[in-house]
Amino acid sequence: MKKVRVIRKPDIKIDMTPMVDVIMLLLTFFMLTATFKAAESEAVEVALPQSIYSDPDNKMKETDVMTLSLTKDGDIFVDVDNYKIREKIFGDQFALGLYHPDTLSQSTVVQTGKVGEKEVKRKVVVMNKAQFEKALVDLKNSLRSMTGNKQAAFQVVVKGDKDVNYGVFEDLMSSLHESDNKIFSLVTMIKSESKKE
Amino acid sequence: MAGGGFDAPEVAQGKGSKHKKTAKGAGVRIDMTPMVDVIMLLLTFFMLTTTLSAPQLMKVSLPKGDVKDKVKVDMGNVLYVRVSDKGNVYFAQGRSDGSESEMKKVEVKNISTELEKIYAANNNLLLLLKFDRKMKYNVMSDVFDEISRAKIERRYAFLKMEDTDLQKIVAAGG
Repeated sequence: MKKVRVIRKPDIKIDMTPMVDVIMLLLTFFMLTATFKAAESEAVEVALPQSIYSDPDNKMKETDVMTLSLTKDGDIFVDVDNYKIREKIFGDQFALGLYHPDTLSQSTVVQTGKVGEKEVKRKVVVMNKAQFEKALVDLKNSLRSMTGNKQAAFQVVVKGDKDVNYGVFEDLMSSLHESDNKIFSLVTMIKSESKKE
Repeated sequence: MAGGGFDAPEVAQGKGSKHKKTAKGAGVRIDMTPMVDVIMLLLTFFMLTTTLSAPQLMKVSLPKGDVKDKVKVDMGNVLYVRVSDKGNVYFAQGRSDGSESEMKKVEVKNISTELEKIYAANNNLLLLLKFDRKMKYNVMSDVFDEISRAKIERRYAFLKMEDTDLQKIVAAGG
């Protein structure tokens, strides 16, 4: 229909359709890569609890974040966003620290290599309580020596699975206290107020 | 669609009268609709991703001092918040002689309003949080959320759940 008109009338008509097609392709590409990257950085996925309260002054930093993930099975994963520090502390650029506080049970990650349904693709360094606390201190010290800033510290964020026992978190808190990480943040998802009855 | 178009000044070619009648004139006419569609898609995409990448953070500050450093608190100024393994929340107000009031069961969703009521009577309260180790993390985050939402000066401490606390919870209904 359009073609007929173009032939009939000497109008200058720019057809946007090919450009739109290309933009659509680009969009699809970026969407796919974004998802792919997120999957790589999210080594351990947990089902976060929801919260209503939001502190406008407390935002996740872009860099220097230490993530402590608590899985449903009671494993604590420690990860930092600096591969040099990871290599220094855990011996591998992509390694993760694992601490299983419950001495009576075995870590499921060590047994099956999986968290829930997903396989942990990165190398895991298993630690006991003393090693875990030492690692927390070492991580902070290496950040300070690397940046040359004696005040530098990671923003410690705790990503707890909503179904993990509180005991695991209690053990983590005592380790954080021991390693002088007294301020940390709990990561939650936003819950809208209206849902609350 | 008709409103979305952009009409460039018409080029006079001696056919003016004819073109005024038909909407599609001889001017340079760029149809914005596909572009708008793409912009809408991009907008949707960015809106969704920003929501996903902005999780909420709840700040927790542990006391600065060493665990061995005993902080002296007037027992009349403490409020025990005990949560059982089933997720039931109990409030009990401390008395200066070391004893405490009867445990009162509080629904999780009412914690912030209850706290505001109690703080209206005594503004120097310290919350002593005692959570059962078998309790779910979800309940803890809900309780903490409620405490954060209450318009009070937040002072709290995490304490270990002792056997006596467990007995009290069992006596109050678990």
